[in-house]
Amino acid sequence: MIYTEEFFNILILIAVALIFARVLGFLFHKLKQPAVIGEIIAGIFLGGLGVFVFSGRNFTILSYSISTINLNDLLQSQEFYLLAQIGILFLLFISGLETSFSSLKKTEKASLYVAIGGVILPLFFGLLSGLLFNFSLAESIVIGLILIATSVGVTVRTLMDLNVLNTDVGSTILGGAVFDDIMGIVLLAFAMGIGSLIDAVWIGLKIGIFFLVFLYIGIKVIDKVLLLGEKLILPKAFLSLTLAIFLLYSFFAYEVGIAGIIGAFVAGIIIGQNARSKDISEDVKVIGYGFFIPIFFVYVGSSIWNNENIEISSLSNVFLFIFLVIFLGIIGKIIGCGIGARLSGMTNRESLQIGVGMIPRMELALIIVTAAISHKIFTGQVVQTILLTTIILTIVTSLISPLLIKATFKNN
Amino acid sequence: MIKENKLIKDFYELKVNQLMDKRVWDLPLIEENEDIHHVLSILGARNHIWVIKNKNNKELVGVITEHDVLTILAPKHFPSYVFGMPDIRSIQHGTANSAGDVMAKKIIMCDPDEKIIDALMRMVKFKLRRLPVVKDKIIVGELTLHQLIRKYYSATQYHPILEDEEG
Repeated sequence: MIYTEEFFNILILIAVALIFARVLGFLFHKLKQPAVIGEIIAGIFLGGLGVFVFSGRNFTILSYSISTINLNDLLQSQEFYLLAQIGILFLLFISGLETSFSSLKKTEKASLYVAIGGVILPLFFGLLSGLLFNFSLAESIVIGLILIATSVGVTVRTLMDLNVLNTDVGSTILGGAVFDDIMGIVLLAFAMGIGSLIDAVWIGLKIGIFFLVFLYIGIKVIDKVLLLGEKLILPKAFLSLTLAIFLLYSFFAYEVGIAGIIGAFVAGIIIGQNARSKDISEDVKVIGYGFFIPIFFVYVGSSIWNNENIEISSLSNVFLFIFLVIFLGIIGKIIGCGIGARLSGMTNRESLQIGVGMIPRMELALIIVTAAISHKIFTGQVVQTILLTTIILTIVTSLISPLLIKATFKNN
Repeated sequence: MIKENKLIKDFYELKVNQLMDKRVWDLPLIEENEDIHHVLSILGARNHIWVIKNKNNKELVGVITEHDVLTILAPKHFPSYVFGMPDIRSIQHGTANSAGDVMAKKIIMCDPDEKIIDALMRMVKFKLRRLPVVKDKIIVGELTLHQLIRKYYSATQYHPILEDEEG
């Protein structure tokens, strides 16, 4: 493919995707909304252009014949898909790098209760809504998983604006979001490997062993391995070795039969313990935030135009499903996390504030849905429905959470 | 010129405990749970603080530099494009209250029996101007670039390099 027309078309696509992602991301940032929403919308826009303008058709204007590239084919090409998948690994690796277990100690018990409540109820609600709309059991489980993981960015910014970050509520939300991220990743690996009850036990064992062995070995030997990187006196050799370790961990996780994203996350946790983790994190963010991660969000946005079109007759059903999932996703977190917070000894009002603060969903929801589609858990027309649901869920929960959080803190 | 080379070679071969500042009582030490305002008051006069578990056993648990305080002193700008657990430490928002909240926990240190060349290489590698000297987790002194420059320069001026060893 090198130096063919297709190769250069992919290069142009990457350039356009990065420009659109960053410009729309910046606009959303200016509107005090998560930049990620802008990047997803950039993907939706590019995908739309692919359907309506650059669809590979030939136009004849006067006597001139103009042939367009097929943008959607490029957006869904193996090359662009590969970059997006690496983007997922970078996201998980960075999340692992930034996870600080020592800072969770202050509200460990409350955060854990909140996370458990916020996992069980949304998972159940998602499962229920999937089954209600005739999705299969595996599909319904994934719908539940999409509702699990909280994205704490929106909440932290709102709590900061309200000057209440330094409260038990603030710390518990932060801790709860870390715990439910971990639970979401583990449950996803679990869901992707399950075929029967024996599978479930086997996958559970494999995840446990992987976490214990690779985490233990990693923490014990990682400093020595990275020392080798320091001895290679070449520019950024240390970073190269770090990236190699993270990709190898993803590969090992995949090889033992659990999702590669677990490997990326565990590698992040381990390398985060190294004395140079701050430098590593900065370098990895340059590559991840600057290239692979925006491409992932553009890819997700553009994917809603993929496959068959949704039949007009089933549109009302689709919108009803989207509405139900979003409603239950919001209610599930408020009640689930609220009960968890109440059980850990918080007041009714604090429990409500925590429940509302845990509503936003973003990156992990998108990762879960993409991983499930890659594993063919969703196929055909369902892919678009579920992608659309997840994207609207992330946008709606990110937009309404600040309003709800502010309302619950009124007259505090 | 040849004499100069020999001098630096000898300098490299010295042990950390021969050049380090052993006056632990004079080091900028603070307990982990002390108030952030105490941290600010010390950093008003010094460039760094070694954080210890408690004043009795002086177990080193962290270090605070001016740069650490800059990140909590400046208004917190929280980017809208961030994944994982965000760093929320800020004086403005009351999320940095004690020395333990601000300190860097991953400390680059040196051993009293190490050679000066190794300590210097570590300073270069980690871009540091000072290293705590630690034995069995307890801080027993510090080695600063300032001290090393002073000692080496005085040696070039024909003063004995270990002249003021005890400070």
